[in-house]
Amino acid sequence: MSAVTGTVGSALAAIVGAPRVQEGEAAPASFALDGARPRWVVRPETLLHVSQVLGLAWDAGLAVVPRGSGSAQELGAPPARVDILLDLRGLDQVLEYNPDDLTVTVQAGVTAAALAARLGARRQFLPLDPPGAEARTLGGMAATNASGPLRLRYGTLRDLLLGVRFVQADGVTTWGGARVVKSVSGYDVPKLMVGALGSLGVLGELTLRLHPLPDAEQTWLVPCRDVATAQELVLRLLDSTLQPSRVELLNAPALAVCGAPRSAAAIAVSIGTAEAAVKAQGEALGGLARAVGSAAARPAEGFWARYAAALAPEESVRLGVATLASKVAETVGEIERAVAASLSGAAPTIGGSAPLGSLRVSLPPAEPASVKAIVERLRAAVAPAGGSVTVQRAPRGVRLAVDPWGPVEPSAFALMRALKEEFDARRVLNPGRFVGGL
Amino acid sequence: MPLSPGLVGDLQRILGPEGLVLSHEGRLVYECDMHTFYKGAPDAVALPSTTAEVVAIVRLCREARVPIVPRGSGTGLIGGAMAPSGGVMVGLNRMNRILEVDLPNRCATVQPGLINLSLTKAVEARGWFFAPDPSSQMVSSIGGNVSTNAGGPHCLKYGITSNHVLGLELVTGRGELVTLGGKVADHPGYDLTGVAVGSEGTFGLVTAITVRLVHVAQAVKTILASFADLEDASEAVSAIIAAGIVPAALEMLDELMIRAINEGTGAGYPKDAAAVLLIELDGPAEEVEAQGERAARICWERGALEVRVAQDAAERALLWKGRKEAAGAVGRLAPTYLLQDAVVPRSKLPAIMRELGAIGARHGVQIANVFHAGDGNLHPLILYDDRNPDELERAKAANEELLHACIAMGGTVTGEHGVGLDKAKNLPLQYGDADLNFMYRLRGVFDPQRLMNPKKLLPAHPACGEGWRPPRPRLPEGAWI
Repeated sequence: MSAVTGTVGSALAAIVGAPRVQEGEAAPASFALDGARPRWVVRPETLLHVSQVLGLAWDAGLAVVPRGSGSAQELGAPPARVDILLDLRGLDQVLEYNPDDLTVTVQAGVTAAALAARLGARRQFLPLDPPGAEARTLGGMAATNASGPLRLRYGTLRDLLLGVRFVQADGVTTWGGARVVKSVSGYDVPKLMVGALGSLGVLGELTLRLHPLPDAEQTWLVPCRDVATAQELVLRLLDSTLQPSRVELLNAPALAVCGAPRSAAAIAVSIGTAEAAVKAQGEALGGLARAVGSAAARPAEGFWARYAAALAPEESVRLGVATLASKVAETVGEIERAVAASLSGAAPTIGGSAPLGSLRVSLPPAEPASVKAIVERLRAAVAPAGGSVTVQRAPRGVRLAVDPWGPVEPSAFALMRALKEEFDARRVLNPGRFVGGL
Repeated sequence: MPLSPGLVGDLQRILGPEGLVLSHEGRLVYECDMHTFYKGAPDAVALPSTTAEVVAIVRLCREARVPIVPRGSGTGLIGGAMAPSGGVMVGLNRMNRILEVDLPNRCATVQPGLINLSLTKAVEARGWFFAPDPSSQMVSSIGGNVSTNAGGPHCLKYGITSNHVLGLELVTGRGELVTLGGKVADHPGYDLTGVAVGSEGTFGLVTAITVRLVHVAQAVKTILASFADLEDASEAVSAIIAAGIVPAALEMLDELMIRAINEGTGAGYPKDAAAVLLIELDGPAEEVEAQGERAARICWERGALEVRVAQDAAERALLWKGRKEAAGAVGRLAPTYLLQDAVVPRSKLPAIMRELGAIGARHGVQIANVFHAGDGNLHPLILYDDRNPDELERAKAANEELLHACIAMGGTVTGEHGVGLDKAKNLPLQYGDADLNFMYRLRGVFDPQRLMNPKKLLPAHPACGEGWRPPRPRLPEGAWI
């Protein structure tokens, strides 16, 4: 850029218009990230705005933090710097819905609820159900690779994101992937953007694969005398011709929060398909349950909403524990022991996709040193099987005390660092928050 | 440029006399894949048996700045496993073991040279299978499937190769052995596994692959519907998808193809039909029953001549027989053909089939169609006689026009075969300069010297040149600081 002609604030105002820039204390306190107020909060209205703001930030060496609904602001390490907070909720247009192709292209700030409202009339849906999904933005869920119980049947955004338009750190708008459901043309760039926490580019538009809503759906809860029995039931279920949409394991505290009958553990299963098939598959599930000495019962309406809420209580420390399906029971036991040991007998809430070994743990608020001890113990426990433990949400002190991502295989990390260096050498995008301080 | 005696000696020492092919006749076997149009023999063919040997080969070639070209079974359709710049081809067929089958965790780890179908054979008795099913699955290697991100008829329901790869062991162009992903889900960090699948050997050589296994369904139903009119069949496909039915496979064959198949294989498809749909549903018995009825009703509503439901496994195999042997049967129509792999949004199927007819007529070439209609993935075979140069030129012109038409409808140039040497030049139809440049730089992260499978996937294009950058955004007045 040529001569110095103004301040960053007036430059941002020239890009997006003065009402869309808030400087310093003028911005609501809710935009603070780990206690640090951004110097500017900018609310772009178009992808061109995003591109220009990043162009400016790149030239001026400013750090940019993209933000959707703000639900994942405590994910990852505390940011190294926050100069510009990019509030992307203004990018809220559904750009193209092709119901006959089961695809949709949306701007990144569209919420799951807004999209669902558009798709419902055609009995289609985006099968993405992390806790609080309704209020979350699709861009935010893509950046954090958020998922919920439905991933068992439908996969995660890794499988649902067909194409993506993003803005590179230097402001260049880029497209990757395709608008059709099947394409191997060029590198699979969307995969690189899913779960990258905006550290390689700010997501602007997403083309997504949709699915038809099943004709009918039912949920069953199978209480089990212990977690080992629950795991046994899951493994039998997977080795059958049942076609469940969700298979979640809950420990006793999780069941209690869901208002379910008391038991040591339970498996929650949903089956969505043709009406007659739901009935037949439900009977088959009942047979499997009896074989392990239990019975399948229908929980009260609204179970999955209660379950999502149970996994994401306010004021909690949340961990993601990834292990093998065959080691779920062992891992749950280890989590319960580790928490009890460090938090004087407290019991964690545990729920997760048992077939995928993907568990969500929430702990009562705790001192950083205690959380650190729990996380380190669990990392040691799951490491031999190739598992991981991440801190999904915790106060800043906790995430300073313990690396929220944990170790990444060194040879793979060398490539990740090289990627960041190639595409964001000036560390403009979300600096410091992603794995290994990227 | 021939390899230096030093490099040849080093490779021989690592691989032994049986592990390095140097003779002219020996190398000619490797000069092309199934896209025989493109020929380029390597200067040597290395046949490693271990990951350590692969690492050593890559390091030696890097030092000597010699191109490295991976090859599995050589069944690719895109000019991928051939050596346009010479160099060392690495044939991975000897690394063909199943390293682990882990059914409780629904996965298996295999070496890249393992034949696709061998994995399913190893687990089917226990009720499991490996879902990606390219038509070549009896001969193609899983490493090759990973490299091209191969698809197949049943990918409509089950997804293509990348949806089934959990982890990779990769020897990058940097000469490093890297472990990406693995049996456990949710690895922190960038999804390098996801982006490496389909990278066609330009990131490095895959030496082990962890894949998801899928349990067989309770029931399968195969339906054959024939139509007097191609347009009606195309509309039936779009209507089935729009009705919320997700068949395991939904294949379409046109009149020319039906004729060739009937003459060639005796599959007995209806003779007077202008189009045949092969619809396969799998899942819970009652679901298959309900969806089968709905699909059949849609076909009748769109004017089907006949809707036949296979009554048993033998009849199902017969209905599929013609489809599976289609490529061979085409030989009866013309000496050779260009095979296309473009995709259109599935609602555009009727429109693209009309356009295809017009393109064939305009260029005076015959086009036969057998393809994955359910996901809009076309496989027109543009027939020509290679003894007639004019015919070849017309076939090529029709081919290019067809690609343009698919892109204009919002499609893509390849749905499952890959880019290779064949379609690299077509990527700019679909991607802008900034997009191509991003891919070029991405490749450089894995292979800074750009020795891995050169000239494949990325086009010769200014945006794919060292140091080139797309224009930065122009800032409005007053936004300069």
